[in-house]
Amino acid sequence: MSDKSTQFEEEEFSSQFNGQVLGRIFAQARPHWLLMLVFLLAIAAVSLLDGYFTFLSKRMIDEGIVPGNREQLFRLAMQYGLLILVQSIGVFGFIYAAGVLSERVRYDLRKKLFDHLQELSFSYFDRTPVGWIMSRVTSDTERVGELVSWGMLDMTWAVIGIGTSFYFMFKINWKLAALVILVLPILVIVAVYFKKLILVEFRKVRKLNSKITGAFNENITGVRVTKAFSREEKNLEEFANLSFERYRAGFRAGWLSALFLPVVQIISAVAIGVVVVVGGLQTEVGGMTIGGIQAFISYIAFMLWPVQDLARVYASTQQAIASAERIFSLLDAVPEVNDRVGATPIETLRVDIEFDHVDFYYEKEKPILQDFNLDVHQGETIALVGPTGGGKSTIVNLLCRFYEPKAGVIRFGERDYTTITLASIHSRLGIVLQSPHLFSGSIRENIRYGKLNATDEEVEAAAKLAGAHDFIVELEQGYDTDVGEGGVLLSTGQKQLISLARAVLADPDIFIMDEATSSVDTITERLIQRGMEAMMRDRTSFVIAHRLSTIRRADRILYIEDGRIVEQGAHFELMRLRGRYYKLYTYQFRRELERQSSLLGGRAA
Amino acid sequence: MSPQTPLIPLDLKTTVAENRLVGLWRLLRGYYLRFFTANVAVAISAFSRTATYMLIGFYVDKVLGKGATWSSLVLVALAFISLALVQGSFTFISGYLATQTAEGIALRLRNYLYDHIQRLNFSYHDKTKTGELIQRATSDVDAVRRFYQDQAMSIGRILLLFVINFAAIWRINMRLALISVIAVPALVIVSYVFFRRIRDQYERYQEQDAVVSTRLQENLTGVRVVKAFARQDYEKGQFDNVSWRKYLLGKKLIFFHALFWPSSDLIAGAQMLTGYVVGGLMAMNSVITIGDYLAYIGMLIYIIWPMRNLGRVIVQTSTALVSYERVAAIIRVEKEPVEEGAFIPSGDVAGDIRFEHVSFSYEGEDESVPVLHDISFHCKPGQTVALLGASGSGKTTLVNLLPRFYEYSEGHIYLDGVELKHYPRRFLRSQMAIVEQEPFLFSRTIRENIAYGVNRNVSDEEIIEAAKAAAIHESIMGFPDGYDTLVGERGVTLSGGQKQRIAIARAILRNPRILILDDATSSVDAETEELIQQALFRLMAGRTSFIIAHRFQTVMQADVIVVLERGRIAQIGSHEELIQQPGFYRDIYDLQSQVDESLAMEDA
Repeated sequence: MSDKSTQFEEEEFSSQFNGQVLGRIFAQARPHWLLMLVFLLAIAAVSLLDGYFTFLSKRMIDEGIVPGNREQLFRLAMQYGLLILVQSIGVFGFIYAAGVLSERVRYDLRKKLFDHLQELSFSYFDRTPVGWIMSRVTSDTERVGELVSWGMLDMTWAVIGIGTSFYFMFKINWKLAALVILVLPILVIVAVYFKKLILVEFRKVRKLNSKITGAFNENITGVRVTKAFSREEKNLEEFANLSFERYRAGFRAGWLSALFLPVVQIISAVAIGVVVVVGGLQTEVGGMTIGGIQAFISYIAFMLWPVQDLARVYASTQQAIASAERIFSLLDAVPEVNDRVGATPIETLRVDIEFDHVDFYYEKEKPILQDFNLDVHQGETIALVGPTGGGKSTIVNLLCRFYEPKAGVIRFGERDYTTITLASIHSRLGIVLQSPHLFSGSIRENIRYGKLNATDEEVEAAAKLAGAHDFIVELEQGYDTDVGEGGVLLSTGQKQLISLARAVLADPDIFIMDEATSSVDTITERLIQRGMEAMMRDRTSFVIAHRLSTIRRADRILYIEDGRIVEQGAHFELMRLRGRYYKLYTYQFRRELERQSSLLGGRAA
Repeated sequence: MSPQTPLIPLDLKTTVAENRLVGLWRLLRGYYLRFFTANVAVAISAFSRTATYMLIGFYVDKVLGKGATWSSLVLVALAFISLALVQGSFTFISGYLATQTAEGIALRLRNYLYDHIQRLNFSYHDKTKTGELIQRATSDVDAVRRFYQDQAMSIGRILLLFVINFAAIWRINMRLALISVIAVPALVIVSYVFFRRIRDQYERYQEQDAVVSTRLQENLTGVRVVKAFARQDYEKGQFDNVSWRKYLLGKKLIFFHALFWPSSDLIAGAQMLTGYVVGGLMAMNSVITIGDYLAYIGMLIYIIWPMRNLGRVIVQTSTALVSYERVAAIIRVEKEPVEEGAFIPSGDVAGDIRFEHVSFSYEGEDESVPVLHDISFHCKPGQTVALLGASGSGKTTLVNLLPRFYEYSEGHIYLDGVELKHYPRRFLRSQMAIVEQEPFLFSRTIRENIAYGVNRNVSDEEIIEAAKAAAIHESIMGFPDGYDTLVGERGVTLSGGQKQRIAIARAILRNPRILILDDATSSVDAETEELIQQALFRLMAGRTSFIIAHRFQTVMQADVIVVLERGRIAQIGSHEELIQQPGFYRDIYDLQSQVDESLAMEDA
């Protein structure tokens, strides 16, 4: 487990500018090349005009005001006014086009990632934390979307802005411009250095923020334990340390940001100083006009912004590349259980099932099943019992082909099930799990998940069979009751009944229940018994259960321990053995009585 | 508290005010000087910027025109650089102090809230949603932090820039100054209206973002169900719906931005151009000098462009005020007085507990809900009390009265002959340990979880000993990092039975006089259950124990058995006494003895 945390530790910056990744990033924007073209043209126009405006006001001084030429002043002002209008259109164009592109690329990436995730196998989800995947689909897509739009935009604006400024400076006085250009590399290097420092610091702040959220979460959910153990002071002491770390990171990020602009400004001031002296001397000999000096000062002061943008884009590009690498690693993950070449669908799963010398492990050092054999006749009900970790769930998972055997073959009818398409298998299974997962939405929608085009009547019939109907109609909104996120508004027992109804509605060929009714109260359990019996009568069923009533009903009971069938047979046969099953049964019997009595505070929902 | 913490102590309770601005003002206590210096630094920095433009005017009028010499030019250049240095230094100083103020206040607020929340009483936590509290302690505190760091400073800066530059232009020419600000009100109004709409639109966008995340999370956690029903295509469609909606909302948000910025550009641009032309004409007519004109067009920028942001700052401030109010609402709630109570015995208590006609009601929204009625019984030191009854019969409530998590409303509870209300809560709790039905473990190492209940350094031997007594040592050694294994998402997921045994180890290490426990075991196999039972009996030996019993085995061995029915005592006595009388208890007992008969029948 310890390597789990390191494996999914996130790198904020990519170590290098990976051209291949960068290429793949921009490939995401290719379908929307028109948007990109629009914003690139618009921002180029805006940037050129920014430079030209300064030049225009220089001309207003030199050609209008100083010589006292009123007409020229008005002419230039008219031109200025018109160009402001043009620029506004450009501004509208680049914001809209870049913004839409950014949203669109994010959407595209989300879709690609989500669609791919649907195809990945269980083993991928076993080893990848949900939170990690979530961040890929949410924040990493944002960063990549940002880079191809606003990142590109800022860079274009900055490069053209700096270019235009120097073009006009050279045009006004090339010698002075040549001097000023020397400052540029210093500015850029300092700016990039700062931005990176600042980004690292903000990254720290973000990380600490989520730690603080976690700390508050524990503080609140664990408040009973805290009070019972009078741990308030110690808790606060620990929290204060974390909080102080956050203070330090935030403070550092804050003052570094506050330092950035002044440093860059002071460097520019030196350049302005040069202009004042050299430009001033040249004015004396007519090499420089007053408007010219004004323009130089404006250009240098302006330079701050494009340089800052360049630095930001540089740092955020490294971030975006790191994000993109993670996104692509997810997209490139190959599902381990997949349709083989030439796989064909199967018409029905109402066939015999055979496990033929099956080996399986999640981790190679810890084999779960070794040389496991099992023949199941169509229509048989198999109960799997035995200690936790013995391999019951693994057998079911292999049967469902959520995993495939590492060695050996599983056959449906006479066919090796790897020659069958996955979808045709899965669509004929009905699975009910102990921890039932519901989706937010109404009860009706959740049951209908088993058969998307089911009518309301079919939904209700399934609910009746599963014993869920009675409690549903008692709810204020009946079948339209919202179950809440993950079904939080319902009790576990209620959720189990709904997920049972969902499987019933699917009308599967094979029925699989993994502790499916463990939290259902005894009365309801009895109610659904008959319905379940009808369901299981002509279908092959696999049941993992603690409930004796369910176990007793099975045609065959398998006692599984350490990946092996230790005892098998019908209930009475096994009881006579006086072996493991007998022991389990008597223990369980006692517990059920205790629960049934409910005087002992039965926990049934 | 760590020694280097720059925390300026302040009981935040004294800062809460009806008026939010007053509250925010009082929250500054201890940082007033810093905050003011920050604002003065902004002013100095703004002054030196304006001075830079005036220097340009002076340079053009007085130096360039009058035969510039090397020395005079260098002097002017040095003046430029010095002004930049002053401006830069003070910009930095203001940023530095503002950050220190904001982060310091946030630190103080966070720590205060953390402590305050853990000291609020049970009734408060019962009725408050966790997510809501977390939100207030994190995002809302951050909004308050941004208020000091950003909004409060921005308002100051924008106004100072405006006032200083306006005054400087006024000095050049009064009419010019007035003409230069015609469009400013329009600019402020447009930006205010716009940013209010943007905020609403942005909230909608964020909400949809949350919908997308939820949908994704549900899909990922429900991946088994999706695959089991082969619903991949359906899921793709569902996700695409919400994801596409987010795209559309984002597009709408962008459209507003794309509309606002060029229109405010137009207003500001028109104002600038008007200034250029009017100023230019004045210069031509020698109303002002060329140098004045150059200084003017530099300063003009600073009375127009910052105004575009004023609307944003105002809108953000109103959001910050809402956040402040949400935080203040928590601070206003009274803490549970854990030290209150006059009686502290010199050593540990003996554990003699007597209930006399105790009743209790929960305080609901408008009415109080009666839970316990007229409960009386006595339990001597070291005895075990077993509580039986259906769920909702009041068992948990009864044991919650002992550590004074809730206060009984009628009757008396005596501990060693002294009324419970006379013991300070902290002392009482130091004498007890609780093992809950579903114990809460912290996402720390197993070692830290076991040592959680004791406020001293515990040796590894002690921890291992406790773990062995709780029958969890073997399982712990089976984890990759043993006792250093993290519990929870980033480490191992523990089963219900394992959690319970760790909680038992935690209680054993605490070595309390009074023990409260819930012996329910979630679905574990027979051997594990046997282990847990043994661990529990070891723990109960020699202590006064209150046990919410789910196992007949435990009940039978109790000294006092209390059967509760809807908050009242239905039956009370020892096992021997109770099986003599007809009723509840004997029914269960009979049921038990039927087990063997039934099994024999099964076997037939």
